[in-house]
Amino acid sequence: MNLSLMALIDFLRYTIAAATPLLFASIGGLFSELSGMLNIALEGLMAIGAFFGMAAAGLTNNIFLGALAAILSASLASMLMGLMTSKFRTNIFITGLAINMLAQGITAVLSQAWYHTKAVVAFDIPIDSHLFSSSISQLPLIGVLFSYRSMFTICAWLWVLISAFIIKNTRHGLRIRATGSNPQAVSALGFSPDRIHMQALIWSGIGSGLGGYALGLSISAFVPNIISGRGWIALVAIYLGRKRPFWVAASCLLFAFAESSSNYLQGFSAIPPLLVLALPYLVTLISLILAKREQ
Amino acid sequence: MRNQGASSTALKVLLAATLSIILATTVLLLFAADFRSALWQFFVEPFSSRYFFGNYIADTVPLIIAGLGVSIAFRSRNFNLGGEGQLYAGALAGAVLALHISEAFGPSAVWILVAFIGAFIGAMIGTISGLLKAYWQVSEMISSYLLSAIIINISDFFITGLLQDRTSNFQTTAQIPSEFLLPRIFAPSKLDISIWFALFLILFFQILSKKSKIGFELMVCGENEEFARYCGISVRAYNIAAMAISGGLYGLSGALLVIGPQGRVMRGFSSGLGWSAISVALLAQGSELAILPSALFIAFLKAGSDHVMIGSGVPSEIISILQAAAMLFITAQVLPGLGQRRRQ
Repeated sequence: MNLSLMALIDFLRYTIAAATPLLFASIGGLFSELSGMLNIALEGLMAIGAFFGMAAAGLTNNIFLGALAAILSASLASMLMGLMTSKFRTNIFITGLAINMLAQGITAVLSQAWYHTKAVVAFDIPIDSHLFSSSISQLPLIGVLFSYRSMFTICAWLWVLISAFIIKNTRHGLRIRATGSNPQAVSALGFSPDRIHMQALIWSGIGSGLGGYALGLSISAFVPNIISGRGWIALVAIYLGRKRPFWVAASCLLFAFAESSSNYLQGFSAIPPLLVLALPYLVTLISLILAKREQ
Repeated sequence: MRNQGASSTALKVLLAATLSIILATTVLLLFAADFRSALWQFFVEPFSSRYFFGNYIADTVPLIIAGLGVSIAFRSRNFNLGGEGQLYAGALAGAVLALHISEAFGPSAVWILVAFIGAFIGAMIGTISGLLKAYWQVSEMISSYLLSAIIINISDFFITGLLQDRTSNFQTTAQIPSEFLLPRIFAPSKLDISIWFALFLILFFQILSKKSKIGFELMVCGENEEFARYCGISVRAYNIAAMAISGGLYGLSGALLVIGPQGRVMRGFSSGLGWSAISVALLAQGSELAILPSALFIAFLKAGSDHVMIGSGVPSEIISILQAAAMLFITAQVLPGLGQRRRQ
């Protein structure tokens, strides 16, 4: 293989890997968005999932138990959101903001208490022990693309497929969409919009938790600013994808492309790395504007 | 908001404050090695000396100024989440100006120009989000957050590059000469005359929002957009203005930090101030006068957290937990209706 082809494949691999956390979080957020709740706490939920997931994985040395902990912790936090908005009628945006703050505080305090540092917590987790990595990486081309943390990447795409099915073809998905477009009608039919909001928020907790955990696993560590805006980018992916699952997934790929470009461009000394770091946000902002304008 | 009595609002705020104090105690009980000394560090130490007390009061200045901006924007249901970047950019612009013009002007001219440029830069950034909302229906929350993330990276780039102080081991701009810093009024602490300015702004915005036509129309826009349009109020203009004022006050508070307690812009300058100002505005429940006690309260939580970190090793991030709790406790009835989607 010649060198530029290898570089290209490397770039594609990185893009696919970068899309993984975004896919989890944005498809999760899509559920709450469809139910009519703009969930700005994806960022915080991802951080919670990353921290508790990595902590559990480090403790048990088992990445599946880590995933379970990520799901549980982030869904608990999203249930807190649901509880506050339904029972205490708090404003969803302020609640989301509070969850983001809470996530920052809790992860720092527990990191200090458990690992005696609030900087980088490195875990000794065997990230190569994946389910499919050995078999799939044998396949030509596809194997090369997926050989980065293959299992989570595949799970992320399965998550997209399953969620799309739930949203489009199940009664549960229909109720969520109906609550978003007409809550009065839903409650007239005898369903509680609050309950459906809660279920949708739990979906967003599951997705964000797994997304954060995938991010933690990718570096086998937890660092305070590990999410660094990806929750917000995932939120914009929902808009750019016009709230349709596969288009949301495509938007995630676009943003992942921006992220890997920014990573790639940092290698060039001519372009200042810190300036390049702004690129994903810039692409996100521009696409948010374009998505709204076309509507 | 207005149909509740003032006393019941005050009661709710007090309850929220009390609950977050109880939570603070619980967190310390769980995580501090020595609970008793941690309690003392959190609750007493900020008041225990002129130095600590003055610094505590100095910390309220940016919270008051930025909190006023958030509060004004709330009035028209605009939610500015870009405070971190606006404050950072305002501070950086102020520092550059102060470092370059200090020889040509006297101190007081420098202060006025720096405050002006900081406010101007912040207002420009806020205006972008306001315009995006007014003409493209882009959520001002998300656009202001993303803009802020972009600006933080650009500011970091300048601080670690072009503006880096070569003599310093830190990632920081050069120090502004001390004769161009605002006069300190409570030695040995960092409290300076900007506190008087902050108090003046409280009165100014109280009068603006309660007694002026502008304040009234801003509120009408927030309460009922349809009705505002029916009355011939330009909702668009007020949305843009609200974001501009909010961004401007963030930028101003950054600039005042540069020519006040900080004297330079280090990387990571804003350090959560942008978010804390939102807590201040929420606790004030739409009253400009109440910005003062709520800034005192949030600054107290911050001072306490900082002291506990130094004394007992509990991370100062407990401030985030406490602020989040205070926000959750208080928001039960703030900004009713903002969360419900308008049908498109």
